[in-house]
Amino acid sequence: MESLNLFVKSIFVDNMIFAYFLGMCSFLAVSKNVKTAAGLGVAVIFVLGVTLPINYLLNKYLLSPGSLSWISPDLANVDLSFLSFIIFIAVIASFVQLVEMVVEKFSPSLYSSLGIFLPLIAVNCAILGASLFMQQKAFATLGLATCYGLGSGVGWFLAIVSIAAIREKITYSNIPKPLQGLGITFIIAGLMAIAFMGFMGINF
Amino acid sequence: MNTNKNSYTVIYTIVLVAIVATILALVSMGLKQKQQTNIEVEKQLSILSSANLAQDVKSAKDKNSYVQGEFAKYITEALVVNAKGEVVESCTEDITKSGAFKISIAEEYAKMRDIDAAKDEAAKESLINELRLPVFVCNMPDGGMRFILSAYGAGLWGPIWAYVAVKKEGTELSGAIFDHSSETPGLGGEIVTDKFRNQFVDKVIFDNGEICEIKVVKGGAKDPAHEVDALSGATITSTSVQKMLTQWFNYYKPYLQLIVDGSGNMPEPGIEVKEFEQDPEVIEL
Amino acid sequence: MDKKIFTTPILKQNPITVLVLGICSALAVTVKLEPAIVMAISVTLVTGLSSFLISLIRKTIPNRIRIIVQLVVVAMFVILIEQILKAYVYDVSKQLSVYVGLIITNCIIMGRIEAFGLTEKPLPSLVDGLANGLGYGLILIVVAFFRELIGSGTLFGAQIIPQSWYAANGGAYLNNGLFIMPPMALILIGCLIWIQRSIQKEDK
Repeated sequence: MESLNLFVKSIFVDNMIFAYFLGMCSFLAVSKNVKTAAGLGVAVIFVLGVTLPINYLLNKYLLSPGSLSWISPDLANVDLSFLSFIIFIAVIASFVQLVEMVVEKFSPSLYSSLGIFLPLIAVNCAILGASLFMQQKAFATLGLATCYGLGSGVGWFLAIVSIAAIREKITYSNIPKPLQGLGITFIIAGLMAIAFMGFMGINF
Repeated sequence: MNTNKNSYTVIYTIVLVAIVATILALVSMGLKQKQQTNIEVEKQLSILSSANLAQDVKSAKDKNSYVQGEFAKYITEALVVNAKGEVVESCTEDITKSGAFKISIAEEYAKMRDIDAAKDEAAKESLINELRLPVFVCNMPDGGMRFILSAYGAGLWGPIWAYVAVKKEGTELSGAIFDHSSETPGLGGEIVTDKFRNQFVDKVIFDNGEICEIKVVKGGAKDPAHEVDALSGATITSTSVQKMLTQWFNYYKPYLQLIVDGSGNMPEPGIEVKEFEQDPEVIEL
Repeated sequence: MDKKIFTTPILKQNPITVLVLGICSALAVTVKLEPAIVMAISVTLVTGLSSFLISLIRKTIPNRIRIIVQLVVVAMFVILIEQILKAYVYDVSKQLSVYVGLIITNCIIMGRIEAFGLTEKPLPSLVDGLANGLGYGLILIVVAFFRELIGSGTLFGAQIIPQSWYAANGGAYLNNGLFIMPPMALILIGCLIWIQRSIQKEDK
């Protein structure tokens, strides 16, 4: 129950884009049409769903204060938490690289549809952000952390696909010239965020 | 130079990682002490502010030494009590090194959640026995005495926590201070303001052996002894405050009874204190 | 040295409003002025220093692991800044929480390193990095100014709107709570882009 609650919450309430503004750059840059937006969204879900559990284990058994005591009790006082940024980003960057190579080799068709987005993901704040929030929220189990990762990914997917759909429609609207493109996209995103605020306080 | 050779890439990576790790480790070690002090001073300041002490902290030249000085002056004793009200540990010197000061209220809150989730009574019982609650005894400049209790709970986005000062009689609060990690600034985040916390002055928390809930109500508190105004636009954070205080007060209940009986800071000399001396490892924790 | 390297990124080629880089971590810290300014300074330092360092070692970096080397260098500076904030301005570092870490994936930094630092000499790279950081900081501060003033009636935590205006004290004024919520940051930036583009069109 707790994991379902967390999953739903991270999709709607703690939405990566509308509540924390994470992953905005690619959210704005790759949301011109629904198809590419969905491609990037799926890639984000996948990378989040895998890197978050990895980073959770690293955090639990390597980085947080006293976490090295499973090797030997003498190491209980070692605190490596200052390295967490660098380790998290290294895990994400190398995982993305790895996936890119594997996909390219075994499924060229998937690569041509998904592959171009992969390098973009390494610098997507939503991925690193989720890892940092995971560290801050100190989840009790690996399962919860995975749920949080998948939920955040689905939330991001939902956000980018829906704004892409709106942007496709809006090309027919008569918008003041200086506001066209980027300006109106920001305002739409703002209005969508207001809509998402309606989910605040949901609990199961 | 050919920078695309495999061997070059590998050596480059190793050297880079080594240099970066060394720099970071050095800086982190150099600043560790200062960061730790900051965290400690923040806790000391919250404890003092709950009893409305250390008011000049904003104008103090050196915040850290001012807060540490005030803390040493007014907080005279730190106790660890369990949910039965028994004093497990007592410390009157170097309070920042005491077991009470080092208790992580976040971990105690996690235990409370386990207690609520426990299936059978026996498991519940043993979990309750493991609870350790901090109490700080404060001797006010005017000669009065306060017992400072803590609380920790879940807000809307993340944890919220509080320190409350109970008057010597053990039934009313003399003040409270709240803090949060990620409530919405300007809405739920307003729990840190003086306007919100000053409402808790003189609230009755303990009457006739029972905990009285402090109700956080919308649209004007009517009962001055038991009700405070909720924050506008932050219903969930406000009710979380109410829930958190009630939950913790209920665990403090047996100890509050001790305070009412007039023996809050004086555990029967002998057993407990001796135990504490025999078992120095407990203090080191 | 060409002055333009310094001046263009601040207004004409502003990283946020024109190039749409680095919005990810920008918005969440703009509720109050103080954290916004600290964030602006931190980002400026990181962009400047990492551009400078990468430019210094640009000829030695193996092309294949270019991105990872850049990330490591950026992450190092970010960790340094985080540690210093924690030691010297603890209150502010608490308010910024995970957003300091997210400077790593701030696209401005990677964007400037890729576009400028990798090809140019160290000193111009330093200037370019600093200028881009300042351009970013400028927007952050403008947004934070309006959000704090209208949302909380304060600036730097000091009351600006007279207390007697408030409805509670017999006046007719109320703080606009929406400005504190995340969506308003998006809408404000949308409006800033609108204003900037209207002005720039008149220039031409």
